[in-house]
Amino acid sequence: MRKGLAMFVAVVVSVMFLVSSVSSFAADEIKVGIIDTYSGPPSSYALDVLDGFKLALNKINADGGVVGKKIVFVTRDDKFKVDLGLTAAKELIMRENVTILMGTINSAVSLAVSDLAKKEKIPFLVTYGKSSNITGAKGHKYVFSMNENTEMIGKAAAIGLAKRPFVNYWIAGDDYEYGHAIADAVWNHLKKIKPDVQLMGQSWWKVGEPDFTPYITSILSSKPDAVIVATGGAGCIPFLKAAKNTGFTSKVPIYMHTGTELSTLRPLGLDAPEGVIGTSNYYFYYPETPENKIFVEEFKKAYGRYPSFGSLIGLYTANFIAKAFEKAGKVDSEKFAEALSGLTIDSPVGKLTVREFDNQVMLPMFMGVTKKAPGFDFLIATDIVTIPADELMPSIENIKTIREK
Amino acid sequence: MVKRLSTRYAKSSALKLLLAFSVVILLLALCPQFLPRFFVYLLALILISGLQATSLNVALGYGGMYQFHHAVFFGIGAYTVSIMLMKTNLPPALSFLAGPMVAALLGFIMGLICVRLSKLYFGMLQLSLGSLVWIVVFRWYSFTGGDDGLHGVPVPSLISSVNGSYYFALITSIVALFMMYVILNSPFGRILQAIRDNPERSEGVGVRVKLHQLVTQVIAAFFAGVAGVLFVTVEGSAFPDLLSWTLSLEFIIMCLLGGWFTFLGPMLGAAIIVSLRTLVGVYTEYWTFALAVILMLLIFFLPEGVLGYFQRFSPVPEHSPAEDK
Amino acid sequence: MDFSTSITLNGLIQQFLIGLSRTTILFIVSSGLSLVLGVLRIPNVAHGSLYMLGAFLCYTIASFLGASSLGFWLAILLAPLVVALVSLAVERGLFCHLYDREHLMLLLFTFALMLIFGDVVKAVWGSEYRSLSPPEVFQGSLSILGMPFPKYNLFLLCAGPVVAFALWFLTQKTKIGKIARAAAVDRDMVAAVGINVSWVFASVFVIGCYLAGLGGALVAPTQNISQGMDHTIIMEAFLIVIIGGLGNVWGALLGALIFGLTASMGILVWPQFSIVFPYAAVVIVLVFRPKGLLKATW
Repeated sequence: MRKGLAMFVAVVVSVMFLVSSVSSFAADEIKVGIIDTYSGPPSSYALDVLDGFKLALNKINADGGVVGKKIVFVTRDDKFKVDLGLTAAKELIMRENVTILMGTINSAVSLAVSDLAKKEKIPFLVTYGKSSNITGAKGHKYVFSMNENTEMIGKAAAIGLAKRPFVNYWIAGDDYEYGHAIADAVWNHLKKIKPDVQLMGQSWWKVGEPDFTPYITSILSSKPDAVIVATGGAGCIPFLKAAKNTGFTSKVPIYMHTGTELSTLRPLGLDAPEGVIGTSNYYFYYPETPENKIFVEEFKKAYGRYPSFGSLIGLYTANFIAKAFEKAGKVDSEKFAEALSGLTIDSPVGKLTVREFDNQVMLPMFMGVTKKAPGFDFLIATDIVTIPADELMPSIENIKTIREK
Repeated sequence: MVKRLSTRYAKSSALKLLLAFSVVILLLALCPQFLPRFFVYLLALILISGLQATSLNVALGYGGMYQFHHAVFFGIGAYTVSIMLMKTNLPPALSFLAGPMVAALLGFIMGLICVRLSKLYFGMLQLSLGSLVWIVVFRWYSFTGGDDGLHGVPVPSLISSVNGSYYFALITSIVALFMMYVILNSPFGRILQAIRDNPERSEGVGVRVKLHQLVTQVIAAFFAGVAGVLFVTVEGSAFPDLLSWTLSLEFIIMCLLGGWFTFLGPMLGAAIIVSLRTLVGVYTEYWTFALAVILMLLIFFLPEGVLGYFQRFSPVPEHSPAEDK
Repeated sequence: MDFSTSITLNGLIQQFLIGLSRTTILFIVSSGLSLVLGVLRIPNVAHGSLYMLGAFLCYTIASFLGASSLGFWLAILLAPLVVALVSLAVERGLFCHLYDREHLMLLLFTFALMLIFGDVVKAVWGSEYRSLSPPEVFQGSLSILGMPFPKYNLFLLCAGPVVAFALWFLTQKTKIGKIARAAAVDRDMVAAVGINVSWVFASVFVIGCYLAGLGGALVAPTQNISQGMDHTIIMEAFLIVIIGGLGNVWGALLGALIFGLTASMGILVWPQFSIVFPYAAVVIVLVFRPKGLLKATW
């Protein structure tokens, strides 16, 4: 028996070493480690980011890379779980020797990896986690947010909603951090801009709730002027579907942050309700800049679909990385972090800057209303209003006071 | 009769076993000297998952109780130590002790409700109670950090570095494993196994079955709490996933894979699963597929688990598999 | 944030009806689980995966046949049948060799199946969200007591009793149902009188899985079809089966009613903590009726 056991242990150990020795480190490469959710419902967002990233990277490498080196990347699937994300991050740092990390759509994983990045002094670029804590309360030198956060969403939504005549609101959302953070941010800012708004009530459902109809009918029975819906990612689609089937949107206007985004509207096809008010940082048809047209064309040619906001994040994250290494002049994590802070690049939505104080990228936001449009087999946003980045950035004073606490 | 004959045999084999274990422990202690940093971390993870699976096996394999939501105690241990380290100024040692104690307390409360039932009913009641605990942790933002969890727990620097946390995990798990071994081989442990093999007859000869099961539950929860505390020292984080039923299922699989009628089987199962998901995960997102295939092969060819299979040929079987199929 | 809800009678009835239509899906899925658990003694964790498979197949078949109503109905009909075929293959190929194993081993085996189905769905359908529209007749909503009520949910309300009746007929009136009930109590006895138990088990397993597929197909138009559907349903289905009484199909109905109605009523009473209600209901039932509400088969 012992012989067998010893043999078994020997096999396991040798396999471990075999695997460990595979990790190669070529001197003419810059290695980026990506941790993201590549299985389960959130993976459609993660794959959009990855495709945008690849598109930009191919271009950069075809032009000879940066500081004489090509940028390569490795991906790890965190399956939307913090423990797997942390192990993957450690593996990328300690075994793959990556220079920088990027990812992930799960805010909890982002925060956990951010803490690790701080300890290991490895820059970490958050690509889809939207918690305002990432660059706010828990911000530090090595963490960068490459997308909008809940504070920015709240401010933008409040600015847009304040211009509309609604007074009595109902708040409904996914019962987790993201839902509550968005709802609180929208409500607090709205109350500030327009003090006479009233909150009639709230409904919260569990994340991944399959059927929204009972919630919708209970909201309708209170007859609010408008409903702020704070669902994230996957929840938007069944919610809008249920909203259409119950005739919800024709009775009460709703605001939903990602309600006008391509990732939400494309899967719904023509089943999406019209008249949903939504904010988004990007539409492939807006802004109508030449840069955006080129991006859409190239993305469509490469992947056979329109780019979503995720694809745009992937694109400019790659460009930020390239430019920061160029500015740093060498492959060095420390120098990279210093170079990226405060950096400005061009993008399809105009010039983008990583704010020096908190490493939060400054993104403009667009508010639109869903509508059927000829030529598309899904709904698009119309009546688009732009809310410029400097109006919706979280205030530096606030972050200072939170961090001191 | 047979037993007396094998006693001498058992003595010399016990000596050999002791020797083998000393060598293994020595090797494990030397690991940080020659292994790359990542593998030291991986070993620490294996030790913690193994300790957790072993504590589960006290109830599952030895007690015959369908402990379906053991991760709750793991998570509560982790949360207790994290919250105490982050929000109070009490000495860290106290926080480290509090983790297992709170887990044991929860085990006592849940046990009080659950032990009245048996088998699948016991498991499902535990599952729903555990889900309620999970909801509380997931929702109580101001206290537990909600679904974002708690990160950057201020673990004393001596035991938070990769090597430091490894040694801490190693020493603690050896002590904890030894304690569990002693408990399981005490009269209490023997009665527990008798209950597993035949609850009715045990009841008949005057054993207080429910009391023994309750105590077992508390013991299992306590050591799960220890594993939870170790997890925080290694990762510096606590989050609701630690209390999820999928994680509980994973621990059960570790037990079954390694051999749930053996003492060290769960540890082996943990080693296989943790290395599989980390190392195969490097190559493919489909590592779960590999796991599933391994599990199927196991069920068809090694139904007693890997270690259980090897021990079949061992001269001194630790325990006979349960008869109640 | 201040908070007030006025509960009206109309609202209550509305919420009750909505809860009932959700109950239908839960009942169909968990009755299948209960059947397999009762007769075969298999805690089939992969049941949720078959539900997910049913939904994906329904989507694919419906979009393959075009957007017509006929396509949808054919999909509802065909998708569960394909799921049943898959389950037949699994039963004959793998399961039938394992019936004498320990329950936990069977649990482990079905878990492995769940992992495989999950990866297969990921590989075949990818990560994109899918959405299927209900047929023309059932789009939009009716007004019941002045409140909108989706027509498709009305259809679900009708489908529930039909399935329940079919199950009753199958288990009480047909020969195979009688044999299966006998086998659930004492399988050796059934084998002793010369009945091929193996095939009885196979048919019960296939029927159970068919119900999972049917639940998935029926639910497809109401939500987005994505990976992870299996995880949400399987926990609920297990809890329903347990509180109803293991292996008792009517218990599954009762359990589904409790689970579905506490959830939808909870939303009206205490919207911010509505997720607690179903679990609390399960705990209360099990504390007072440890073996479930109705008689369990084992």
